[in-house]
Amino acid sequence: MVCSRCKTRPVIKLPNSAVSLCKSCFIKYFEKKVRRTIREYNMITKGEVIAVGVSGGKDSLTTLHILNQIVKQQRTTKILAIAINEGIHGYRDKTLDNAVKYCDKNGIKLHIYSFEEEFGYSLDKAIKKLKLNPCSICGVFRRYLLNQKAKELKVDKLATGHNLDDEAQSIIMNFFKNSTETSARLGPVTGIKLDKGFIQRVKPLYFLTEKEVMTYAFLKGLNEELNECPYATESLRNDVKEMLNEFNIKYPATKYSVINSFLDILPLLKEKYKNNKLKYCKYCGEPASNETCQACEYVGMLK
Amino acid sequence: MKIKVYIDKFKESKIVDCESIKEIIKKLNLNLEEFIIVKNGELITENTKLKDKDEIKFLSVMSGG
Repeated sequence: MVCSRCKTRPVIKLPNSAVSLCKSCFIKYFEKKVRRTIREYNMITKGEVIAVGVSGGKDSLTTLHILNQIVKQQRTTKILAIAINEGIHGYRDKTLDNAVKYCDKNGIKLHIYSFEEEFGYSLDKAIKKLKLNPCSICGVFRRYLLNQKAKELKVDKLATGHNLDDEAQSIIMNFFKNSTETSARLGPVTGIKLDKGFIQRVKPLYFLTEKEVMTYAFLKGLNEELNECPYATESLRNDVKEMLNEFNIKYPATKYSVINSFLDILPLLKEKYKNNKLKYCKYCGEPASNETCQACEYVGMLK
Repeated sequence: MKIKVYIDKFKESKIVDCESIKEIIKKLNLNLEEFIIVKNGELITENTKLKDKDEIKFLSVMSGG
């Protein structure tokens, strides 16, 4: 077996095809696909300030790495990184360390905010008190801070490391939970509705699988051997992830089909929910679906 | 062949008697969607041929975000 393009030693067999690629052809393929996604969905416009939400894991550092390359070429575009320290003992400190090292080495300004300082509770402490699913609290607080801080930093777009697997999982989870309205807010670019409360979010790795991202990160030395989040096994996401991976081995292209059929119906979902007015939280003024945003609800419960 | 296999997800090494990587995957019930495979620090595909006493690492592609 040799690289399908240059006949040298392959490092990966691409998902959903008979194509195998060597290191150099895979890196070209990967970067080209990210650039195409950015172009097709107008993710970056010259002159903008782009913030990348980084955790220090492979997905966010890959996103930061490629966007930094593009920004260097464009010159007028600026890039910065935002990290959230949730306060997960023995996990987040290590990944944040990666983010700090990468940003230091590449001259990227990194802004770090913590649950403890912003909400008064680390995630570890919050779940002891609230007895809720850790991923629910973490997701709400993290999205809240990323949006709020991106606004404070006056950025135009917030880029995240969500990959094809993450998105396919979210789509299936929303079906399982009967949350179609939440799915209407998924897609490669979200928050298109021009709203002063929302920073538009872009996902440059949208069409790349988790395995492809890991392969790229490994070849570029962006991955460190990290532990999985200790709370990951407690989530519905983890069960859906395993289910989709098992399906994909048995029926290749399952994940692509989930994404592509979702993108087909996404305009219809957006149309259906377009009149649902966005509200603003009466306590913090951030966007909310009710009178109080979910983050302030949790903060209230913690008091 | 005796192959030393390390799986980072479970943080464990074991010796597997096998002829190919595909056989390891089957014997250890691993899902190829969830791992990349490394031999002597280099990334390889599941079709790579093995030699006796090779050391193979399966690195989990998953991360918590």
